[in-house]
Amino acid sequence: MFKRLLIANRGEIAVRIIRVCRELDIESVAVYSEADRDSLHVKYADYAYPIGPPPSVESYLSIDRIIEVAKKTGADAIHPGYGFLAENSEFARSCGENGIVFIGPSPEVIEQMGDKVKARAIMKAAGISVVPGSDGILSSEEEVVRVAQTIGYPFMLKAVAGGGGKGLRLVRSEREVPSAYRAVRSEAASSFGDPRLYVEKYLDRPRHVEVQILADQYGKVVHLYDRECSIQRRHQKIIEECPAPALDYRMRRSIGRVAIQGARAVGYVGVGTLEFLLDRDKNFYFLEMNTRLQVEHAVTEGVVGIDLVKAQIEVADGANLPWRQRHISPTGHAIECRIYAEDPENDFMPCPGKIDGLRLPEGLGVRNDCGVYEGAEVPIYYDPMIAKLIIWGENRVEAILRMRRALREYQVRGIKTNIPFHQWILRHPRFMAGDFNTSFIDDEYRYMRKEEIYPHKDIALASAAIAALHREQERALRLLEKGAAEKSNWREAGRRASLRPASGFSGKSWKR
Amino acid sequence: MSLEDNLQKLGDLNRQANAGGGDDKVRRQHEQGKLLARERLDILLDHGSFVELDRLRTHGCTDFDMEKKKIPGDAVVTGYGAIDGRLVYAYSQDFTVFGGSLSGVVAEKICKVMDMALKNGAPIIGINDSGGARIQEGVVSLAGYADIFLKNVLSSGVIPQISAIMGPCAGGAVYSPAITDFIFMLKTNSYMFITGPDVIKTVTHEEVTKEELGGAETHNAKSGVAHFSAESEKECLLMIRELMGFLPSNNQEEPPFHPTDDDPSRHDKRLKDLVPDNPNRPYDMKELIGAVVDDGYFYEVQRDFAPNIIVGFARLGGRSVGIVANQPAQMAGCLDIDASVKAARFIRFCDCFNIPLVTFVDVPGFLPGTAQEYNGIIRHGAKLLYAYAEATVPKITVITRKAYGGGYIVMSSKHLRGDINLVYPTGEIAVMGPEGATNIVFREALEKAQDPAKAREELAANYRETFANPFKIAELGYVDGVIYPEETRPVLIRSLEMLKNKRDQNPPKKHGNIPL
Repeated sequence: MFKRLLIANRGEIAVRIIRVCRELDIESVAVYSEADRDSLHVKYADYAYPIGPPPSVESYLSIDRIIEVAKKTGADAIHPGYGFLAENSEFARSCGENGIVFIGPSPEVIEQMGDKVKARAIMKAAGISVVPGSDGILSSEEEVVRVAQTIGYPFMLKAVAGGGGKGLRLVRSEREVPSAYRAVRSEAASSFGDPRLYVEKYLDRPRHVEVQILADQYGKVVHLYDRECSIQRRHQKIIEECPAPALDYRMRRSIGRVAIQGARAVGYVGVGTLEFLLDRDKNFYFLEMNTRLQVEHAVTEGVVGIDLVKAQIEVADGANLPWRQRHISPTGHAIECRIYAEDPENDFMPCPGKIDGLRLPEGLGVRNDCGVYEGAEVPIYYDPMIAKLIIWGENRVEAILRMRRALREYQVRGIKTNIPFHQWILRHPRFMAGDFNTSFIDDEYRYMRKEEIYPHKDIALASAAIAALHREQERALRLLEKGAAEKSNWREAGRRASLRPASGFSGKSWKR
Repeated sequence: MSLEDNLQKLGDLNRQANAGGGDDKVRRQHEQGKLLARERLDILLDHGSFVELDRLRTHGCTDFDMEKKKIPGDAVVTGYGAIDGRLVYAYSQDFTVFGGSLSGVVAEKICKVMDMALKNGAPIIGINDSGGARIQEGVVSLAGYADIFLKNVLSSGVIPQISAIMGPCAGGAVYSPAITDFIFMLKTNSYMFITGPDVIKTVTHEEVTKEELGGAETHNAKSGVAHFSAESEKECLLMIRELMGFLPSNNQEEPPFHPTDDDPSRHDKRLKDLVPDNPNRPYDMKELIGAVVDDGYFYEVQRDFAPNIIVGFARLGGRSVGIVANQPAQMAGCLDIDASVKAARFIRFCDCFNIPLVTFVDVPGFLPGTAQEYNGIIRHGAKLLYAYAEATVPKITVITRKAYGGGYIVMSSKHLRGDINLVYPTGEIAVMGPEGATNIVFREALEKAQDPAKAREELAANYRETFANPFKIAELGYVDGVIYPEETRPVLIRSLEMLKNKRDQNPPKKHGNIPL
């Protein structure tokens, strides 16, 4: 087993990985930017090393600095978490070249799956249906228009290297092609350093379903069932569930088989996820493969009872998968709410700042993967997700009710969060009925009234006003107290002077 | 009248007082980029701390139909409040009411808060924006001015008095600010003069604008009447708040302590070679000050006047100090009339208010020339000497390089009751510079020499080695130590700590007779 493992990440996922390290008796090495000096992962790790200034390009995305720390500390493995360098083949390769195990698939697989066009081709060849679109890279507006004529409008124009909700545009008509083309191209170039584009048919209001894959180095592949992540805003998932409410028993079996087929086709090793879009007729199409641990892996863990991070580390160390597919069975239902430091009333603007107070929910079936603590500062430089709340219930209804209860207990003071927004979704009839798709928030958000997300706003404001009044009174009283106790040289000198007998009024004349 | 009616009336009067001279006048004030009297106090004082006095007073003038024109509070807002939680008294003249003119009642209101300030030992801050005397009231108005001047004089040296000129301040009115300790002016809309441009034109036929005659630049750079100039009213008021942080509330108290994160034992590497070896090379003394004081924060007083000497406030280990320093980057740091007067007044202020003095010396002597002599450099230079000798606050002196002749003596030397006198290894202390001294001491030898230039050089070098170094004076005990420049900060802080309970006094007298 590894002796020392470096976590090339921050926030809750870094803490999550450090926890596993401790269970496996592996020493953990955290890295941090200047903005994260006091972050939870730094406090929690066995070792912590600074890697540069706050902007991620100079710290968490700096391959050289991270490798340097790994070598200096003698780390024999690196876990990239998700985001940052998790799907960077150059980083994976660099680890290998320096004799450090990269916890994830090979650089070649990362490259193949990172190139969305190549990934589509491989899956197509393996007999998996993909979303109709261009088979290759499009290098001009004219080509885009030509492909559009065969697949029809509307379609999505996407960056080959895209991901995380960036580098894609919906094109509804030929008129929109030029502006979308320019926008995506420049975004792709600036965000991913790769301006190549391709086209995919736009599925109207699809559902987002994905399958968790786990494979060892010896060709054994199992799936850990499916998840649904259709609740998204701006292409960012915010609520995930396992198992997917969209799938029935037969579809679940067939999508699982297809996912294993896909993982085999690329020779996948480790944990990975195949994402599918489900259209209204319940056809599913391969969308892309994530060659890393997902944010939402925790819902799968809740339902199948397997520690994915631990499995990931063990597989990277050369372990055999101890299970066959039939050993893995889902129990109950899990839901995850991503807690963001953002303002749901103000178009989800990020709200970095100091967390003045934090009370996490507890109780049966409640799991907190939290990357912050009371008094911590949420930096402006990174993704504003501060924690994940994962709920397990015997069935979906119990999980929803328990989630609502847990969200009520959740208190974050000092910054705004999307907790009230989650409450609103969890109470929404369409969510409760499982009748939703990736456009859910876009369709419903504008009907949301502010009273709905803050149902007790009046009471909250009144209590805040009373608290402020009390504070003000206390402050005034303290000031008076301080003033009364204060020594004044001025007063003392005045008193001394006033005690002196007046001149010409000596003791003698007093006696006469 | 029922209680109800009285409450109604109180509300009306309060509203009238707050409305000042009415909407038109208020608009005109704002159009000129000026704030109202109460708006100024809101910025100056801690939020919500201002308590107004005499809000309902009105003038008693009955001439010229004045009894029909009465505004509650008349042309000044007076009261008390806090700056950083410390009590201050303030008055703010209201230009919207009768042009801010000074009536007997305005003067009485001002005198009332001045009396309170003096009785309770708290600073008084006056915001001046006034057209001058209330002509309708005649000599009553003049008497009002005189009352204020007298109180200014009696308060002088007991409580800090600050003036801000935020509008015109002309004629006799200027003498109240002139007596106060510090005058703040604005780059625009701020004038002080005894006689205005029109009178000057009639009498001396000189053409001059109001700005040229008595604007902030004139009084900050030329006349030395003002001490600070600000871009805006807000900046000015915040600068006053800043200044108050360095000052005690009265002459019995200590200045407030400001905690700092700046390490008291910090050695500053910058100082190692800041002072050049070559005595003729200039350097910026402000860099040295910045490297020594807490957080590099130096609150300079009269920056634009006589820049060959630097005066201002700073903190060392959280304690307020007054800093006086020769500036070798200006006129080689020579002392002239303006520099002497500027420093003397500052030293006396610090002495009044228990603020220790730290002096950095690099002075080649007094500035030669007929202009200086005719204008009385003897009289003015003597003020500096007088101020240093008279001061009983802790006095610490650091000679960074040159200290020649009279310059050496007046710049807080040991002989003038300096408490701790230190010198850098670059120090040169002598009666005069090596070149001049050589010419006198070795006159005969030089006359006889075959190569006088070469001989002079050799002899000067010889002189420098013997006299112009820090070791001679250290042997004599006229300094307490030779220190490494980088340890200036820790040494100063330790010295101040040692001197914090210093007691010293002057013989009983009504007052000394400083050569004015």
